[in-house]
Amino acid sequence: MNKDEHDHKHCLELFEKLSEYLDNELDEVSGKDIEKHIKECVPCFVCLQTLKRTVDLCKQAEDRPVPKDFSKKLKEVIQNMPKTPPAG
Amino acid sequence: MTTPKRANRKEIKDKDFELIRAINSGRFDRFPDLVKRYEQKLYNFSLRMCRDAADAEDTVQETFLNVFRYVKNFRYETKFKNWLYRVAASTCIKKRRKSKFAPERELSLDEFFPQDETEVPDQVPKWALMPLDKLLNDELLDKINEAIFTLPEKYRLVIVLRDIEDFSTAETAQILNLSDANVKVRLHRARLFLRDRLKGYFENE
Repeated sequence: MNKDEHDHKHCLELFEKLSEYLDNELDEVSGKDIEKHIKECVPCFVCLQTLKRTVDLCKQAEDRPVPKDFSKKLKEVIQNMPKTPPAG
Repeated sequence: MTTPKRANRKEIKDKDFELIRAINSGRFDRFPDLVKRYEQKLYNFSLRMCRDAADAEDTVQETFLNVFRYVKNFRYETKFKNWLYRVAASTCIKKRRKSKFAPERELSLDEFFPQDETEVPDQVPKWALMPLDKLLNDELLDKINEAIFTLPEKYRLVIVLRDIEDFSTAETAQILNLSDANVKVRLHRARLFLRDRLKGYFENE
């Protein structure tokens, strides 16, 4: 399927399910439907690839260290808490 | 705060249970161990939700105080970490209501679907093809964080829990008290939003 023959209706139906497809959360029939479609539809294939890359990049987000001053403050707050949790 | 009703009634294995049982049996001196274990995770979760470092610190502190207050209600029917994030998410939502970032709005699927033929891509862009390690650098990581900050809160919560904290759909649903279907819808829109931001970044590079 080329750019001019792009069938928006069917693409839109599958477009909704691309994240579930990437997460392996679709039933077998829906999964196979997407696999068949992306072999024939370049725009949807591109969409899937860019979405997949987005998820991969998101998973790379790095954690920052806890600021030392805050860690110290938190320790003090915890130490000063009552020895028994409040009732209720 | 109580354990969600939808949780599995069968007791599950969890690396935190020994520590939580000790705390709940009166060993409050072990509470700092719990803080040490989750301080960094909660700080980064709060930072992603609040953006502002001072707000994130307040949120972490409030979360631990809420945990201290309510941990006796924990029923060992879900992983402790899931319960902890439920407390943290609820604390963040309350805090965020006072914050000025990312105004709340609905993301609709239509805004991410090409509306005319000129927007329809005809080839996979380089940024989606090249090896991930060749693509990653500090500037890109900053851009990703920046893009996450601009997501409306309800979408940000879901993508942070699913794609950064690595909770499953069911766990995320339990933490946020949403249906699985709702988590999936929000996650997909959040990912499409980030994809558009990344696309814009790479196209203007």
